[in-house]
Amino acid sequence: MTRKQKRLSVILGGLGFLALAAALTFFALGQKASYFYMPADIEQAQLAPGQRIRLGGLVEEGSIIRGQGTTVRFSVTDQANTVKVTYTGILPDLFRDNQGVIAEGSFGSDGVFVADSVLAKHDENYMPKEVADSLKERGLFQHAEPKSPGS
Amino acid sequence: MIEIGHFALVLAFALALVQSTVPLIGAWRGDARMMGVGPTVAITGFALTALAFVALLSAFAQSDFSVANVWQNSHSLKPMLFKITGVWGSHEGSMLLWVLILTFFGALVAAFGGNLPETLKANVLAVQGWIGTTFLLFILTTSNPFVRLNPAPVEGQDLNPILQDIGLAVHPPLLYLGYVGFSICFSFAVAALIEGRIDAAWARWVRPWTLAAWMFLTGGIAMGSYWAYYELGWGGFWFWDPVENASFMPWLAGTALLHSAVVMEKRSALKIWTLLLAILTFSLSLLGTFLVRSGVLTSVHAFATDPSRGVFILAILTLFIGGSFFLFALRAQSLTTGGLFHPISREGALVLNNLFLTTATATVLVGTLYPLLMDALAGTKISVGAPFFNFTFIPLMVPLLVAVPFGPMLAWKRSDLFAVSQRLAFAFVSAIVIALMVLMLSDRKSALAAAGIALSSWLLLGAVTDLAVKAGIGKVSAGVAFRRLAGLPRSMFGTALAHFGLGLTVLGIVAVTAFGTESIATLKKGEALDIGGRHVRFEGLRPVSGPNYTAQTGTFTLEDGTKIESSKRFYPVRQMPTTEAGIKTLIFSQIYIQLGDETADGGVVVHAWWKPLVTLIWLGGLVMMAGAAVSLSDRRLRVGAPAARRAKLASAGGAQ
Amino acid sequence: MLFWVAAAFLTFAASMAVLVPLSRRADAKGEVAREINVYRDQLEEVERDVSRGLLAPEEAEQARAEIARRILKADGTQSPGDPTAPASRLSRIAAAAAVISIPLVSWGLYSVLGSPDLPQQPLAERMTRDPAASTPAELVARAERQLAANPDDLRGWEVLAPIYTKMQRYDDAANAYRAAIRLGGSSAPRQAGLGEALVYSADGLITKDAQMAFETALKDTPGMPKARFFLAMAKAQEGDVANATREWQELANSLPADDPWKGAAQAMMEQANKPAQMPGPSRQQIEDAQEMSPADRSAMIEQMVSGLDEKLRENPNDAEGWQRLIRAYIVLGRESDAAAALGRAVTAFGPQSDQARQLNQFAAQLGLKVKP
Repeated sequence: MTRKQKRLSVILGGLGFLALAAALTFFALGQKASYFYMPADIEQAQLAPGQRIRLGGLVEEGSIIRGQGTTVRFSVTDQANTVKVTYTGILPDLFRDNQGVIAEGSFGSDGVFVADSVLAKHDENYMPKEVADSLKERGLFQHAEPKSPGS
Repeated sequence: MIEIGHFALVLAFALALVQSTVPLIGAWRGDARMMGVGPTVAITGFALTALAFVALLSAFAQSDFSVANVWQNSHSLKPMLFKITGVWGSHEGSMLLWVLILTFFGALVAAFGGNLPETLKANVLAVQGWIGTTFLLFILTTSNPFVRLNPAPVEGQDLNPILQDIGLAVHPPLLYLGYVGFSICFSFAVAALIEGRIDAAWARWVRPWTLAAWMFLTGGIAMGSYWAYYELGWGGFWFWDPVENASFMPWLAGTALLHSAVVMEKRSALKIWTLLLAILTFSLSLLGTFLVRSGVLTSVHAFATDPSRGVFILAILTLFIGGSFFLFALRAQSLTTGGLFHPISREGALVLNNLFLTTATATVLVGTLYPLLMDALAGTKISVGAPFFNFTFIPLMVPLLVAVPFGPMLAWKRSDLFAVSQRLAFAFVSAIVIALMVLMLSDRKSALAAAGIALSSWLLLGAVTDLAVKAGIGKVSAGVAFRRLAGLPRSMFGTALAHFGLGLTVLGIVAVTAFGTESIATLKKGEALDIGGRHVRFEGLRPVSGPNYTAQTGTFTLEDGTKIESSKRFYPVRQMPTTEAGIKTLIFSQIYIQLGDETADGGVVVHAWWKPLVTLIWLGGLVMMAGAAVSLSDRRLRVGAPAARRAKLASAGGAQ
Repeated sequence: MLFWVAAAFLTFAASMAVLVPLSRRADAKGEVAREINVYRDQLEEVERDVSRGLLAPEEAEQARAEIARRILKADGTQSPGDPTAPASRLSRIAAAAAVISIPLVSWGLYSVLGSPDLPQQPLAERMTRDPAASTPAELVARAERQLAANPDDLRGWEVLAPIYTKMQRYDDAANAYRAAIRLGGSSAPRQAGLGEALVYSADGLITKDAQMAFETALKDTPGMPKARFFLAMAKAQEGDVANATREWQELANSLPADDPWKGAAQAMMEQANKPAQMPGPSRQQIEDAQEMSPADRSAMIEQMVSGLDEKLRENPNDAEGWQRLIRAYIVLGRESDAAAALGRAVTAFGPQSDQARQLNQFAAQLGLKVKP
């Protein structure tokens, strides 16, 4: 092989590798990214049982049922629709009524959403961005102005 | 004092303006006086920023609530340590720390850059001045920590309780030292582009800064990961969260830069690529700052976000990334390319390293920004989490990790892969034997886990083999080998240490993921739960009151009487509960206990984890830092202290 | 003043940082090509690696040749301009602009952003300075501190409770009244105050606890206007508007014209008789301005001063404390108390001590006439 050929093969090898990595990445984006739904979107979405999604919304007031072993039941609502959720484990510190949350998991065959992780950010003013945007679209949530006197 | 600090900051801004123009004109016109302005202004600018920082610090320490930032982030009852760390717990204070570190690095270049050509030094300081100017303007206009309140409130709003932690005292400064440290590499790269001249010496001048920044960033990421592990109470050490990715991307790119700069220094090759990496690494640091501060991405760790500030940082980002790449496109043609090499050689291995690391960086970047893109283009909201990254990042890392032990043992220019493989045979066979043993002991369940253990053993043993071969152990007598080992350049020790640390981290990750167990149960006083082959007895809850919180603390005991305390705290000022996990370290492994809610029948939900070898994850990070520190102390990097002495040495060396 | 001096000094220092290097006469020594140093060092390194056996002789030979090429190339590159050359016109203009810009930019920007007249206000200092100069919020914070240290201080709770109500800290007010009742026993003002705080805390709803408190108050002092007013409101909230109106009417009739409760009762009657409108929260009508009234203010100060007095009785070796006490008494116009305090201080330190002499001097400066 001449020097030029050698260089060309190295470059081709590198490009091939990059193409492979890019293909892998985009395949993974299609397969492994989970879509985000609000309760109102669930009916149109036609989700197969077991398909992983993220469900966002507010914890419906008074819907949290604890204390039956380690499984907690609650409902996530966007005021238009409500989805029942079960979760086994310890909920985040700031999980409470009317708190914006994101539950990740899939629907069981009985239509109850089985979450394997529940996010409620560690900030008292937390509203997950997706939830805030969607609620804003529905006109249910005004962004709270940060309170600061004298400015 | 506080207003003097404010004035000092404004003055630092004025000086930054001078720093970004005068030395640049000087370098362009060849005017030594104007170039000479750079160092004094950089050092004075640092002193003024430090004064501003100290003023803010003292306002926090004295609970001066006439300062709005103190009022928003402090409380008179907060322990002194957290009053002080509250300075960088807030957005404004953390940006001030950012600029303080930036000016600090600028001052270091000014003070210790005596070995640099005058024009290069002047240009580097000018580029530092640009960064300083924009960020000082950002602070003064959108996030001024010195805004005052009149009349002053008598009590503050307290700092977010989960930030009141010793981990957060250390994590942001380390992370910023890393992020901002790469700004020096960026400035060197842009300065080289301005001059249109780059050579092997450039790589050596940049090397200590890259090493230092990389060391701090490694420490910052490890510290942040450990903090999230014990404070957030999820028992996880890495979540592939956008904010974590934001610090990880510069680390990956910085690691690539570290390796490609070696090639450039030794062989004068990969020059353009190295320059590009230097720009890229700092761009990713800026992107990280933007992601963390703007709140455009959903993150569990994003504190104090504000969209209007995000726009400003986005403008800075566009300016610097766009500007530097434009300059790059303009000048890349005129830069000469360097020496040739065979694919099987040290250079070849380092190119491979760069190929994998930059691809991995791109993958993480795509995964982090894809939700943002989808939202903007298609309006669909998606989230890209651990499954994506595990699927793409790990396959990219495994071949790289397999190749790591080969790298340092290959010769420059052209090497013999077969000979190197022979030297590594011992490490290879041992790794396989260890994997087989693991497979037997774990009831042949997890082939993947065994492979992971094999990979980490391969890394650990490979690093040791590298040193052993270079010292000639086995070939020469023990005494000679020891003397040769002690005489090896420190950078070789640094390489081996860093690769060893990498092996430790991989071992920790594999062990925890493959062999970690967890158990959730409702326990009443006196009841017990089995975790990791240990019997953990719940001794009941008791109330505890801290300086600015109240807590319910649960006590657990192991059979040998060791106590583990886990608690749920409540901070009344912010009306916020937090969980303090109970952690017991047993050699390298840990038992991790988190308290949940109390049940109606008087029990408590308890979540317990067995985390085998988990501490190795962060210990590995510390070892990597140590590697960088050892490498940093190598004599090569102290080149050109007094030029005369060096010249004499060189002629003496030449005469031999 | 200190600020302006410091600011001027800093500006001067910053300007010098620009001016000094610009006016320096650079030494004539030419610029060495710094790259050469690096390459020389690389050559040394090759030698070291050879002597360690890390590099084969032929590899070393190649490396040397490569480095030598770099040295030749570096020698060929131009070193920067002559440092001794006189400054060009452009650089003189640039230099002047730089030096002038520093004070202009900094003072200009600071005059927009800064608040040079605001002194720093460390909390510890604010909590110990002369009570007469403190803001209401500071006074409350100080009282809270004292109470946290000594929760059995009945007077403290009594002073603080109505102030909490005025500051709209209703839960704190209720707690303070409860503490006062616990320590000093039940009394009509305390119970009525507790009731009021509970009502506001429940957004105007007369809760069961509040009703009980008002009834206890009325039992203790029959005819107490506040209790009667709220008990009538309870009736209105239960829907018994007729009886409520009657009771308000009786209350209004029994009070003199300038009594605030009379106006409040009349306003409530009007509101109650408008159809379809429940008598709701009436805070605005009842409450005075949010500002602390002079009476409350002096009550707070009195309480603070007596607390200090008490402390100095227990621990008299606190010269600064004595100064504060004496000054406070003089500000309050209680000269005899001030003189007595001075006397006690002098006795505590001993008449011949330095502290006693200083205290006498201090008192004399404040215009306190001491009988020898």
